[in-house]
Amino acid sequence: MKQSANGLLSRDSTKTVLASLISILIGLVVGSVIILLVGLADPDLSLSSAWEGIRLVFGGLLSTGRDAAGALTFGFNPTNVGNMLFRATPLILTGLSVAVAFKTGLFNIGAPGQYLMGTAASLMLALGIPSETVPTGLIWCIAFLGGILAGAIWGCIPGLVKALLNINEVLACIMTNWIAANLVTWMFDGSDFRNLVENTKSGYIYKTSYNGVETAKLGLDKLFPNSQVNGGIVIAIVMAILVYILMTKTTLGYELKACGSNRHAARYAGIRDKRNIVLSMAIAGGLSGAAAALYYLSGNTEFFWSTYQTLPAIGFNGIPVALLAASNPIGVVFTGCFMSMLDIVGLQLTNLTAYNEYITDVIIATIVYLSAFSLVIRMLLSGRKKHKTAVSVETASAAGPVPAEAAPPAEAGGPETDGTEEKGGEAT
Amino acid sequence: MRNMQAENIIEMLHITKEFPGIIANDDITLQLRKGEIHALLGENGAGKSTLMSVLFGLYQPEAGEIRKNGKTVRIDDPNDATALGIGMVHQHFKLIEVFTVLDNIILGAETTRMGFLQKREARRKVEELSERYGLKVDLDAKVEDITVGMQQRVEILKMLCRDNEILIFDEPTAVLTPQEIDELMATMREFAKEGKSILFISHKLNEIMAVADRVTVLRKGKCIGTVETKDTDKQSLSNMMVGRPVQLEVEKGPAKPGEVVLHVDGMSVPSRTHRKRSAVNDVSFDVRAGEIVCVAGIDGNGQTELVYGLTGLEKTSGGTVTLCGHDISHASIRQRNRYLSHIPEDRHKHGLILDFTLEQNMVLQKYREPRFQHLGFIKEGEVRAYAQQLIEQYDVRSGQGPITVARSMSGGNQQKAIIAREIDRELPLIVAVQPTRGLDVGAIEYIHKQLVAERDRGRAVLLVSLELDEVMSLSDRILVMYEGEIVGELDPKKTSVQELGLYMAGAKRAAEGGESA
Repeated sequence: MKQSANGLLSRDSTKTVLASLISILIGLVVGSVIILLVGLADPDLSLSSAWEGIRLVFGGLLSTGRDAAGALTFGFNPTNVGNMLFRATPLILTGLSVAVAFKTGLFNIGAPGQYLMGTAASLMLALGIPSETVPTGLIWCIAFLGGILAGAIWGCIPGLVKALLNINEVLACIMTNWIAANLVTWMFDGSDFRNLVENTKSGYIYKTSYNGVETAKLGLDKLFPNSQVNGGIVIAIVMAILVYILMTKTTLGYELKACGSNRHAARYAGIRDKRNIVLSMAIAGGLSGAAAALYYLSGNTEFFWSTYQTLPAIGFNGIPVALLAASNPIGVVFTGCFMSMLDIVGLQLTNLTAYNEYITDVIIATIVYLSAFSLVIRMLLSGRKKHKTAVSVETASAAGPVPAEAAPPAEAGGPETDGTEEKGGEAT
Repeated sequence: MRNMQAENIIEMLHITKEFPGIIANDDITLQLRKGEIHALLGENGAGKSTLMSVLFGLYQPEAGEIRKNGKTVRIDDPNDATALGIGMVHQHFKLIEVFTVLDNIILGAETTRMGFLQKREARRKVEELSERYGLKVDLDAKVEDITVGMQQRVEILKMLCRDNEILIFDEPTAVLTPQEIDELMATMREFAKEGKSILFISHKLNEIMAVADRVTVLRKGKCIGTVETKDTDKQSLSNMMVGRPVQLEVEKGPAKPGEVVLHVDGMSVPSRTHRKRSAVNDVSFDVRAGEIVCVAGIDGNGQTELVYGLTGLEKTSGGTVTLCGHDISHASIRQRNRYLSHIPEDRHKHGLILDFTLEQNMVLQKYREPRFQHLGFIKEGEVRAYAQQLIEQYDVRSGQGPITVARSMSGGNQQKAIIAREIDRELPLIVAVQPTRGLDVGAIEYIHKQLVAERDRGRAVLLVSLELDEVMSLSDRILVMYEGEIVGELDPKKTSVQELGLYMAGAKRAAEGGESA
């Protein structure tokens, strides 16, 4: 029994989850420390309000405001949970976008650009197709697919550049990000495309509900009253499951992962590595496009073209979401929800205390740093155990492949010690 | 007796090191005398590397002690080992590819003045050492551009620069050409003469007999015994190592060559390093069904590129390749894979996806066959069953069977997995590049038998090998490559190793070798 417990602990997946949890915890603790320092330094704040802030950092999702005596109350807050799910939707998808690319050995830092192109395409379709003649449900579907397609095409570009010219995808991604930012600004500000949607525009705001297009609520608004939640989260989760199936169960996923793990061996096996690079970036781009489409088609969101002189943070936040989930598509659902929970925490801090939401930005930043370090944390997890108990199970798997003949991994404990048996003993 | 005890510079007494489910070292005692070359002999998985890792501080033993000059020492990590004057050349070199040779040698022991590197002094020291021991290296070349032989000399110079007096060589000859092996042997003898003590891990009996003073044999983690090389011979050593009488020679009947399977006509392959030169220049040959044709030559004379050109990993710049009657000169790798199996030279680079499981690796080319997929979904059950079948049939040993991650398997079993996969594809041509590199006697015997069996089943086998013994014993015809050209075609029954060596060194060319005209 002890053996199996040790086995579970030494499993790589367990370590990955543990490493991510540690990153999150450290991030939250750092946030708390900052709250404490700010609370002590600021004359308007006190130790008790700092304590309130810290409680909100850890329990903001469950905060239900203040009671008559002015003390913080906690309990199930459906509005918060609903809003968390709403905000998680695009994060899950950009997280998936980055994760798919990671699995195939590519770093998709182009998610913001793909997200912007998805935004532009889905807004133009959702606002440009007249709702008098076309059913809004159909417009929604067209706009959603259009967003995916635009993101996919935008993702293809760095993929093609990498496959054909061997130019690093990170470089190409960063450049396409800014091309996208300026292209979108031009489309919504200077170009004739603007006229497509001008009639549904109010002020400088583009909002798909002006054309009657918004995501179906699927009854989620009843479950989480007063929140912005809609069917998008269901679509995001379904897409995460689809990506999971694609990556683990299909020949395409096998090829993509093979190219990602060892491009030379993939080529040796006859897998077209160049095609797979482009395909992987297209899938990643499509997911980012889907993120944008679901966000702007929700009906409660507005697009200000003028703000897109900068790149959308949701795109970049896909990176920590994917890193924290160790690129596991199902894990991305949870880390996406966690990151959006931090947003809610920020709102609660602003609403209920004298702190503002920027504290959560600090927490997110810390976690972003630490998620990049989660590999290091994993190594520390293995290393510490190695030193502590040289005898135990962990050693073998931690020290794993170093000397080829050292040891088979943990579960080798069959009746025979496989590695040391005579080679070809049965060959005679 | 007391006298001998005093001579021992390193004593490893009753070392026991356990891994879960396996005792890698079981009460092993090893005594290294000052100024001797002591060989550590054993099959893959016998515990040689573990024992050396214990000495080098990479592992902590559960029991036993290590003494230096009679005093008990603790070695917690490689830094402790270095402080005790213990240096190690690992089987897989630990060099930084993009650094120059000099930078690699001084790395970790840089001489600095006020924070600035003093490379000139270091250079002088390295040059002097390399002169003294005849270790020729190009100090300004980048490691990625130099041959493995030179990389090894770099590793040796690294140890010398740190004034190590106990030198561990982990399978040093696995990657070397015959000439380089001779040079290494001479260098080792030189070291021993100067009073340095050498631990030499190997499973190559020839080398051990040639260079070592004493041999300690390990089997299944146990110490079988320590013998003087002058009191023993190859056969008894190999019996000690394997625990049963081993057949050192390949047993095979005469070849019955059938029709031409592979026809290469005037093929050229461009060189990666030298833009203008071809790595393979206008090469023509045939391989027939039912024969083993061996391409012999010193490493780096175009064998690798020849295989790349045949298998499609590199584009050819001229000539035609015909395989089973199809012109495949410009075919994709996947198209070629329909006719040829390829046991690649670099099993980590091409042969396996190390992060994939064994079963995933077993279907590396086959996953698209209807047997293993339906509408793009992989049939996991079929893959598992197939992998299980190959594992049993070819006796591939691994910790968790089909779901073992390839990276965690021993080198010998990784190679066996590749051989199982490639042979089981049942294709007319098998291209095997150094299939026994770095493997032990038992595994080599097994792989040789498999290749001969495939030949007898009517397959054509193209074998590229750097091991002269292998070339002589396995092949039915020998093609010698020198500087990208085939300089001779020999019959192994009518030639000698010496003659082969002359061809390989470029000192002799076949008179009828029309291709150079």
